[in-house]
Parts: sequence; structure tokens; C-alpha cells
Amino acid sequence: MKQIRFGIDFLTYALKGGGKFYVWLLFLSFFIMLWVIGNITQITQGMIVTNLNDQVSWGLYMSNFVFLVGVAAAAVTIVFPAYVYNYKPLKDVVIIGEMLAISAVVMCILFVLSHMGRPDRLWHIVPGLGIMNWPNSMLTWDVAVLNGYLALNVICGFYYMYKKYTGEPMNKTFYMTFVYISIVWAFSIHTVTAFLLNTMPTRPMWFHSIVPIKFIVTAFSAGPAFIILSFFVIRKHTKLEIKDEAINMISTIITFCLGISLFLTLSEVVTELYPSTEHSFSLKYLMFGKHGLHGLVGWFWVSLVMNIMAFILLINPTTRKNYNILPFACVLLFAGIWIEKGMAFVLPGMIPSPIGEFVEYSPSWIEIGNSLGAWGVGLTVFTILARGAIGVQLGEVKYPSGN
Amino acid sequence: MSNKQNREKGKSRRDFLKDAGVAGAGAFAGAAALLTGSDEAEAKTTWAEHFQKNYRLMTDAEKQEAKERLETRYSEEYEKKVEVGIEPAMPGVLFGYALNIQKCIGCRRCVHACVKENNQSRHDENGNATEIQWIRVIRMEKGNFAFKNENMDEGYPGSKGEEYGIQVGGNAHTPVGTVLEGQHYYEPQRVPEKDAFYFPIQCHQCEKPPCVKVCPVRTTYRDPDGVVVIDYNWCIGCRMCMGACPYWARRFNWGKPNLPKEDMNPRTHYMGNRPRMKGVVEKCHFCLQRSRKGRYTACIEVCPVGARKFGNLLDKNSEVRKILDRKRVFRLKAELNTYPKFFYFVD
Amino acid sequence: MKKYKISKVLFSFLVASFLLSGIAYAADPEVCFESRGMKSEDGEVVGYTIREKRDVEPGWPNIKCSSRTGGVLWWGDPFDETEPMGELPIEADYTYEEAVVKPREAHLTEVIGLFPCADMCHGDPEVVAVPKDTTPRTLVDMHTEKAEKPTDLKHGRGAIWCLDCHSRTNRNKLIDHRGNEISFNQPMKLCGKCHGQIYRDWRDGIHGKRIGMWVPGGKKRWWVCTECHDPHNVQQAPGNRGFAQLQPEPAPELPKGMLNTDHEQEHGHGGGGGGHAAPAAGHAPGLH
Repeated sequence: MKQIRFGIDFLTYALKGGGKFYVWLLFLSFFIMLWVIGNITQITQGMIVTNLNDQVSWGLYMSNFVFLVGVAAAAVTIVFPAYVYNYKPLKDVVIIGEMLAISAVVMCILFVLSHMGRPDRLWHIVPGLGIMNWPNSMLTWDVAVLNGYLALNVICGFYYMYKKYTGEPMNKTFYMTFVYISIVWAFSIHTVTAFLLNTMPTRPMWFHSIVPIKFIVTAFSAGPAFIILSFFVIRKHTKLEIKDEAINMISTIITFCLGISLFLTLSEVVTELYPSTEHSFSLKYLMFGKHGLHGLVGWFWVSLVMNIMAFILLINPTTRKNYNILPFACVLLFAGIWIEKGMAFVLPGMIPSPIGEFVEYSPSWIEIGNSLGAWGVGLTVFTILARGAIGVQLGEVKYPSGN
Repeated sequence: MSNKQNREKGKSRRDFLKDAGVAGAGAFAGAAALLTGSDEAEAKTTWAEHFQKNYRLMTDAEKQEAKERLETRYSEEYEKKVEVGIEPAMPGVLFGYALNIQKCIGCRRCVHACVKENNQSRHDENGNATEIQWIRVIRMEKGNFAFKNENMDEGYPGSKGEEYGIQVGGNAHTPVGTVLEGQHYYEPQRVPEKDAFYFPIQCHQCEKPPCVKVCPVRTTYRDPDGVVVIDYNWCIGCRMCMGACPYWARRFNWGKPNLPKEDMNPRTHYMGNRPRMKGVVEKCHFCLQRSRKGRYTACIEVCPVGARKFGNLLDKNSEVRKILDRKRVFRLKAELNTYPKFFYFVD
Repeated sequence: MKKYKISKVLFSFLVASFLLSGIAYAADPEVCFESRGMKSEDGEVVGYTIREKRDVEPGWPNIKCSSRTGGVLWWGDPFDETEPMGELPIEADYTYEEAVVKPREAHLTEVIGLFPCADMCHGDPEVVAVPKDTTPRTLVDMHTEKAEKPTDLKHGRGAIWCLDCHSRTNRNKLIDHRGNEISFNQPMKLCGKCHGQIYRDWRDGIHGKRIGMWVPGGKKRWWVCTECHDPHNVQQAPGNRGFAQLQPEPAPELPKGMLNTDHEQEHGHGGGGGGHAAPAAGHAPGLH
């Protein structure tokens, strides 16, 4: 059957490579092993193996989840110019963006499973089998949109690749409908995740209307930064041609999104620190420490410096278009926003607790192992999917004609 | 032709999803087996318990079955005759609570009485479990009253001699009246201390509970007698409710609960103090096992100064109604519109 | 040889019985106080009402005690060792409630031994003369530990003294200003005459303590005034709150990630001294 053949050809192409490729896979498999061991430990002994407690009940897992939803949403920064503005240079690489979206959503699901106390009861949320408290619970909205986004990307991506594989023409109506839906949907996944956090007045750090805006702009700077880095890797190690214009378009997008993000940070800091009420304690703890506790202060300033440096490098066209400097700026940006979303947003929301108790948190080794492991799984999925997609795009993965 | 291919593609996708579903179910079963733990009695947790419905949707027969299953399991595990009550809300009852902060002396007997009654996990030397306490008493320091005349014109941005006046007085920097943040870990020799008052907090059983709204599986909900309950067998441990509760009332079983047999209270209720399992949320439920049988809660009974009052808000002769009628009553974080049924008052 | 063996057996029996007697001694029933008590440094529990823990049913104790303070934390049977309270002077709509109290007269007789002494000393005019009136005067010899300075009793600041509450002629009873005798089981009939607002709140359940059933008409054990307040030392300096200070129960466990509670001692701006303290480390100067 053609579909099975497609699957086999796709995977065999994706898993074949040079020495460096196998070293990379081996490197990732170490993290996958960490993930397996860590999760078995966590499932058997319970979440007591993490450093979470009743005061700081959301930690490293939720931070990674929130960040990765943003990375998943970033596929739209390629899809939108490519299809809505018909920007040709990006059209060829849309598929890479979709593969990244799939891998990021897979990572999100892994982090949610690590965060839950009872993953064996996940079926409780499936409507029909269990109870899905939609539309009241924001988490059900998040589950719905994330799974929908995964489905959309799988459909769009694999339909496109399958058609290219067999050489048949695509049903444009079918395909473009799903593409347009996925463009809107991409905005919604990160907006809903933002609503998950910002609709809780219990957490004054999160209870702002700028949160969805901040989430979207940081998503559209961190995600595409990763895409740019993967483009450089693809350029170096595969035959796929990625035009400079494609890279420049994306780097322009991330520049302006980063600029808006920094502006929103400024806005938040001024709004909170000018009157300095009890509701600003989380931000003050984050920026300056409080009561002799300053576990997150270093993280905040480092991420701010990294973001500003990245912005300076990106806003200047000379450095932005210099492909020796651009990857460095992208790494700074990616790391800076990861720290900002995790340590400088999710964690301070939990400190102090709603009744004023300050408790510091730093993840345990199991949490770090599980998080690195989930990233390992995600990167493996992305590597395989991207390689297969490149093969299809290059025409090297093709249905043998005459069958 | 393309439609046929789409259908074929769709079919294979459907098959794939079906296979994935079976694999997923297998994974859940595996995870369930791992999560159940190595304890023999707990390992006997039946398939039926893993796949039982949400309590509210059970028929009376299913509830009875669940009750008997649990009674057998707990009786074996704790080596005493355990009863699991399934009493529904009493008609015409809406529970209310009033706490007299004029009287509270911060002795924390309520905290520990609650633990004696409600089968929470106890401290485990190996660090696998902490003692879960549903009530938290906060010490509010009255602050220093050593006002000095020479500091009267000190402040920010200027100090003595500045012409334009002070924007922030010097006493903004030293706690006066009451210190902003309360203390949780006070342990003086005697209470009440002269320079402090005390503020106990537990679940306020809100009429518009934020925790209920955010629960993705509706495991926590407000029962007809006003108590916000949790179906422990339905909770998935996502801790959204813990993020949303403004009173920090909810606790999580991070590890396998450590409940020694001698400390176990055998008179339990399905929604109340029956022993919980790893990975689920728990909180104060106004001692359902007692209050639905007409008895006061454990915290009410132990309070040595009679600061805690409980009763039926719909009964005009109840203590709580009389307090609402005569005393100055306020709610904590009233601006959040959670409409708690836990009132604080002063004499 | 046989003799040696027997003596060895005897010796081990003696050792065993010595050890077991130690265990038997250590297996004294657990006691704790219900009100007005404490655990002294050597672990002895003292208090106004001492209860002994025992099982009312297999596996269901009558009380559970605190290991830290020696106070009762939990009642299995709230009506254990109680008797009906009896009538209260003012009719109100609460009277349909079934009220029981912990009887004081029995306790005073059996535990403190007041009544026999009261009969033996004050019941016999040859031992202690009956005072001719209730004018305040100093006491000699007896009861000085209860009231060091009767003319300045720590209750009312000189406004009342012993014989304003204790019957001049019958020390087994209390007495009110009209000469009616009041049982020690119902001190509120006396206390309520001066402390009317409190008495009204107590009658309605707002002041004071009750355990038992909240349902309308439910049986409750009402705590009477003297179970919480020491009538001979109501002021309880230094707190001056009318209620003796208690030992607190232990603080919660520190959560993971916190090694100590130093952060709670620092109030954010360098401690609680008077005047403008220096900003704590980490604060940007000028921001507050």
C-alpha cells in the first residue's frame, strides 16, 4: 500500500546518514534514556522525587511546557508569509516549520505527563470516557487546541509530503483550508496557554492582560530563532537549498517580536514597581530578592542581558544579515526567552504563596533529567521528521514509478 | 480519484489512531500498575477501582459497591474495621464557619486535631512523605511602637531640611501597626504573645470556588451542603486547583502517604477523610464524616478558646447565624468574589 | 549441676520480671489535660481537667493527646464522663438543646479533695470560725497560693474578694449577691451576674466552647466558665487577656527548598528597630 510504503521510505531515508548524524542520535539517545529512567522513578515513587512542594507546586515541567507551546506556535511565522503573502523562498521550507511544530507539541505532551500526579488517569479528561470540563476549565481548552494543532500539522505536513512523494497533484482546496485553519490555530494555542495562567487573580505576577501578548511575541521570537538555527544546520549538512531571503524574512520577524517583548517587559516593570504594592512582591523577589532570598535574581538579569544583546545584534541589519553573527544572536535569544518564560515568569508566580509564604525552589536531579530527556525525545523526533521531510522535498524520497 | 486516495489515507490514519489508542490504554494500565505501589493491600486495588466513574455520576448501587470495595481494602491495610460513609448532603443545610480572630491564640491545636481526625500523610524519616496539614496559622506581628519624635520628619525622597516635603514617610520602612507579611513557622514558649495576633486559614468552601472552575475533569465540585469536595479516585493530579486557590487551602500527596495503622481514624467518608493515595489533591472538607452525621468538626471541638464556630447557615438559631447577625464579620480576599462561607469576626 | 541450672532459670526470671515491670510501669495510661493545663519540663501533665486515654470501643479511643503539650486534641466520645447541666435561670430559645457538662463537684471531691476539707475545716466552727460578715481581709495560713492578696484579687482589681463568690456559711457552694447557693457545676449563674454580655454570648454559643452535635436540639457538652478561666487569677499577666497562656503545638515542617526560617524574621527592610533602618541587601537604593 502506498501509505505504508511512504512510511517505510520516509523512515529509512531519515535514519540513514553519515557518521556525524549517528553521533548526534547517540547523543540524544543518552537523554532519552534519562527520560525513561526518570519517569519510571517518578511514577513509582511519586512526585516526591521532585523538589516541588505545596507552595511551589508548578516548577520545571510547567516552565518547559509553557515555553514549548510557544515554539510550536512559531511554525506560523513561516506558513503565514509563505501562503498568505506567497513569499516563494519560504514556501519550500514550510514543511520544516510544520515538523518542528509536531516535535514541539510532542514535547509539550511529555512535559504534561511528567507534571501530572496521576498520568494513569489521563483518560478522565477524554470526553465520553471521562468528563471534560469544557468550557469552564482553561486546561481543557488547552488540551483541545494543542491536540487540534498537532492533528492539523500532521495532516498538513504529511498530506503535502505524501503528495510530493507519489508525485500526485494536491487537492488545493483541502490543503489550503487546513493551512489557513492552522495559521489561526497557531495563534490560539499560545493565547490559550497564556489564558491558562493569566486568569488566576490568586497569582498577581500572572494576572495581567499583557500576558497573552507577551507570550505570542516571545513565541514568535524564540521559535523562529530555533528554525533559523536548524536552517543553518540543514544548509551545512544537506543538499536542501534555503535561500538567504527566507532566513532574512524570519530574522526580521524575530527582531520585531523581540523588540515588542522587551517593551512589554519594561511596561510590566514600571507598572509594578512604581506603586509597589503587595502584588508586586513576586516581581521584586524576582528582580531584587526579598527577605534575604534571591534564588531567581541571577536568572532574571542574565536573561534580560541576553535578550537585550540579541536585540541589539538583530536590530542592526549589518549584524542581522551576517550569517556568522546571526546564529549566535539566535542562541542568545532562544536561551534568554527560555529562562524568561520559565524562571522569570512561571516560578515567580508561585513565590510568594497566595498567603504570603516565600519558598525557594530549584529542581531536583530527576526533574532536570526528565526535562533534558523530554528535550532529547523532541529533538530526536524533529531530527527524524526533518530529515524525512528534506528527503521528500529534494525528491530523494519518491515513490518508485511504474508500480 | 483524489477523494478515494483521501479516504484510503483517512482509513490508514484511523487504523493508526486505533492502534495508538490500544497502545495508549496499555501504557495507562502499565502506569497504573506502577503507580499503585508495592503494598500488598494497595496492589489488590481492583480493575474496577481504576476504571470507576466520577462519584457524582455513579448510581446508588455503584456507590455502595465502591464503598464496600474501599472498606475491605482499608480494613485489610490498616488492620481495623474501617467504615467508609457515603452520606449525601443533609437537606436544608448549608454549612458555615466563623472564626473569632479576637480570641485566637495561635496555639495550633486546630492544625493537629485536624490531622488526628482526617488521616493525612504523616512525616516519614526517609523523606518520602511530609506531614500534610490542612490548616495554616499565620502570626501577624503587631510591629514596633517605638515611635520617636526625631524620626517624624524622616522619609523619602528627602530628609530633614528638604523643602519640598516627604513623599513616603519613614515609618513605611519599619513595620508599624501590623507587619505586612505574616509568619508561618513561629514557635514561642507560650502563646498568645503580647505583640502578635493569629490568623488561621483553611479551605473557605467558597460559593464561587476558583478551584472548581479550573478543574479539567470536574473532580472537585461544590456539594449541595456547600462543601467543596474532591473525588480522590477521579483526580488526575494536574494541580490547576492549587494554582487557582487564593487561600492556599489545597495540599498534594507528593509521595505515597505515610499513615501508620495506629493513627488511622477508622470512621471515614468517601469524600472526606478516607486515606488518600499518591498523586491526588486533598483539603479541608468540614469533616464530612462528622458533620453529615450532625457532629462538630475536629477543629471546632479542640479550640481551647472557643474561637471557632460552625453550623447551618440556613438555621436562624445556629451559632453561625447569630454571629453573622450580631458581630462584625469580614471575609478574606473578598475582592476576588469567591464568596467564602468562612467568616472572620471580632467580639 | 541441676541446682546451678535452676538458679540460672530463677535468675533469668528475676531479670525478666524486673524488665517487664519496667515496661508495665512505662505503660501507664496516657493522660492529657482538657483545659487550663500544660506539660512541665520533665514531661508531667498538669491541668484543671485531666483525662486518661482509653478505648471506648476496640480501636476507638476516648481522646487523643498531644505529645508536645499534653493537651487533648480530639474526642472520640464527647460526652464521656459528663452529666446534664441542669436549668439555667433565664429562659431563651436555646433551652431545647440537650446540654451536658463535665461535673466539677465530683472532680473537686475526688481529685482536689476540696469538699471533704471544706467540710472538715469550714464545716466545723471549732476548727475555723464562721466569719461574721463578708468584709475583705487578709488570709493567714491557708489558701494563700490561690489568692496572695485577697484584698487585691487578680479578678476585679480590688472590687471583689473570696466571700463575694464563696458562700460564707457553706464552702461547698458558691453564692450570689442574693444569698442563693450555686453549684460548682454551674458557675455561670454567678459569673453571668457581672459579666452579662459574655454570659449572653456564652448562652448562644458564640463565646466559649462546646463539643458535640451541631444539629438543632443536638446534644452538646458545654464548657463552663471555670474550665477556661481561673477565677482566682483571671487577669493572667503579662497578657492580661483573661486566659492563661498555653504552650503552642509544633510549627509545620519546612517545605523542600528551605533550610531555615530566617526569611520570616527579616521584615524586608532590615529588622524591626525604631527609625529608618538601612535597606536590606538586594534592594536598589531609593526603591521601596
